[in-house]
Amino acid sequence: MPAAPQYPAGTVRALLATPHVSEPTRAALEARLMAPPYTPQFFDADTYALLQAVCRRLLPQPDRPTDAIELAAGIDERLLTGRADGWRYDVLPPDREAYRLGLGGIQQVAQAQFQRDFLRLTEEEQDAVLTAVQSGNPPGDVWLKVDAGRFFEELLAEATILYYCHPLAQEEIGYVGSADLPAWTRIGLNEREDREPEAVE
Amino acid sequence: MPDEEELLEESVVSPVQPEIQDPLLRELLQKEPAAGKITAPQPDKLPEPADEVDCVVIGTGAGGAPLLARLAMAGLRVVALEAGPRHEPRRDFATDEQAQAFLFWNDERLSAGRDPLSFGNNNSGTGVGGSTLHYTAYTPRVQPDDLRLRTEFGVSQDWPLSYDDLAPYYDELEWLLGVSGPSPYPWGPARQRGYPLPPLPLNGAAQLMQRACEKLGIRTSPAANAALSARYYQEGIGWREACTNRGFCQAGCSNGAKASMDVTFIPLAEAHGAEVRAECFVTEIERDAQGRVTGVVYQQHGEEHRQKCRTLFLCAGAVETPRLLLLNELALSSGHVGRNLMAHPGLQLWGTFDEVVRPNKGIPGGLISEDTHRPRDADFAGGYLLQSIGVMPVTFASQVARGRGLWGQALRDYLRQYNHVAGINILGDCLPHADNFLELSEEKDSRGLPKPRVYFSYQENEQRLTVHAERMMRQIWEAAGARDLWTFPRSAHVIGTCRMGLSGDDAVVDADGRCFDVPNLYICDNSVFPSALSVNPALTIMALSLRTADRFLEKKLRRDA
Repeated sequence: MPAAPQYPAGTVRALLATPHVSEPTRAALEARLMAPPYTPQFFDADTYALLQAVCRRLLPQPDRPTDAIELAAGIDERLLTGRADGWRYDVLPPDREAYRLGLGGIQQVAQAQFQRDFLRLTEEEQDAVLTAVQSGNPPGDVWLKVDAGRFFEELLAEATILYYCHPLAQEEIGYVGSADLPAWTRIGLNEREDREPEAVE
Repeated sequence: MPDEEELLEESVVSPVQPEIQDPLLRELLQKEPAAGKITAPQPDKLPEPADEVDCVVIGTGAGGAPLLARLAMAGLRVVALEAGPRHEPRRDFATDEQAQAFLFWNDERLSAGRDPLSFGNNNSGTGVGGSTLHYTAYTPRVQPDDLRLRTEFGVSQDWPLSYDDLAPYYDELEWLLGVSGPSPYPWGPARQRGYPLPPLPLNGAAQLMQRACEKLGIRTSPAANAALSARYYQEGIGWREACTNRGFCQAGCSNGAKASMDVTFIPLAEAHGAEVRAECFVTEIERDAQGRVTGVVYQQHGEEHRQKCRTLFLCAGAVETPRLLLLNELALSSGHVGRNLMAHPGLQLWGTFDEVVRPNKGIPGGLISEDTHRPRDADFAGGYLLQSIGVMPVTFASQVARGRGLWGQALRDYLRQYNHVAGINILGDCLPHADNFLELSEEKDSRGLPKPRVYFSYQENEQRLTVHAERMMRQIWEAAGARDLWTFPRSAHVIGTCRMGLSGDDAVVDADGRCFDVPNLYICDNSVFPSALSVNPALTIMALSLRTADRFLEKKLRRDA
């Protein structure tokens, strides 16, 4: 299989300053790009650190050692305000409870498998813990109350959405759909508009 | 409305707070405001609309908006109550999926069963225009046999009306909305006239499907979409601009090219005197001793209001409509409110191509085939349609996470292929089943009302149909040159919780949308569908909406005469 395409950095950011991006679109993207440091308000410090560690494995960013896209912040903020996305698996408790229980459950799996705190595991060990949760039948009594597979799916989906709505992640995949003014006219196969980036070798 | 004198008096008793010059006094007053001396300006209290109107319409989507316009044009005094806000798309709509989440019905629904339905961005909307604010505007007509599954296969239900009842409304709608599509349309009965506009241009996914189907001998056609391929004018609505190929239909059209209700039937209704009240959430349907509806109670901006009416049209969609009836213990004698819940099997197949696709551009559902409407080798009742699909990146990423279970570096590597990804999917018929229904749960929402719980499991017919469709789609995508194929099991649209029928013993409403139990209560949305149909429902909901209004007006005329 061919290697995944690589796109040049800076494409979305360069377009933000042009008339190709509408005002509401620019506002949404800049808010994420320039998000101030976040202080957790829903989770306590330890649980928040655990959530951050889990997110680092779900969407690892070794290419951004100092400026990683912050994912746990969006989850903490949503749970604090109580926003929902319109539905919930009936097998899961309400979101706040599901996250508290599920994160506790991840610690239980870490203890059962490696007798250590999740934060003190190697990356490979952390991945083994998360794989066990995703498989739907991990050790720990939390998982009698919380459907492990569905919890993992929800957590992964939320982290993934938070990652790919960020302008830097959109640059990474070569998406500049936000710069849609005045129109797209070259929309067929292998057709590129001047403002769309080309993959680099 | 208060008269001018009252307004003048109001401004005297509620003066605008004067600027306080002395910093010490200002600080003291901030700590402890002088009680009763200075009052902040109060917003005018909304007048209690105690007077009765002819019709109240709950919901302004594909079910409510067309009939709202029809009733207003007949000279009736009509009020629409919409739970969500009114938007100004040109000013407010971002080309950003997350920023557009306000378009979805985000109050939580509990999804149970073996194949739990996702709601929110998948199939529910709020705001003036309802779910049409984020529908893909895919507007195929039904084929006549879609309405006769019981006759044809001995399963599901026949509709109490025929294609000929709907055809004139389809025609009217296609011309009012400005549907772009092929003329003649390759499938179904001959039509009175073609589509008013030529098809929208094909994007990468559509070209790939076209190319592969040609090799395999499967007929395809540019799809019919209610998005304008050219500027378009309609009396009472005005000019609407052509589609700019943003590909953002499912997160809100920002230039009015897509025929959502807020740029078509709502302005038409308002031009004829209809009143649309936004941010009004109906909680109660009031009745007299004979059981006739007398009005509704609703909450707006934290205050409770009552609106009396002679006739009520409930058009809140296949979840909120039955929920409101169950909450009010209304029209329940058939035992079918909340039952017969259906959802279209909407399996998607994704593949990676050498070609650059950039799947965010162009109308998402560009190409269609209805050759699978009644496949000759089918081992199931009904059929399905095939369509090419584009996709926005965040939606796609979340589907990869949920459906493919990829995470870590594998997820990031796969999504770097985004510009080379294209999909096809189906929309298949679904049979009603006793295991699939909606109920009120014991869990309460922020208003203190029970959340709906929806049970859904695909049954044998849907499973067989999906197996057939997956085989077909894999053939097509392999012929198109796709690699790394994977499927995303998905259900589209919620249907059938207040079905129409011939008798109040096994249906909630009659063929005109009128409740068997309550003579001045009409229902019009996807909840009244007796069977799911093998096409996207929006155009048929609108056709039923116009028909419901016409049948109501005919009855009224006879009564008044």
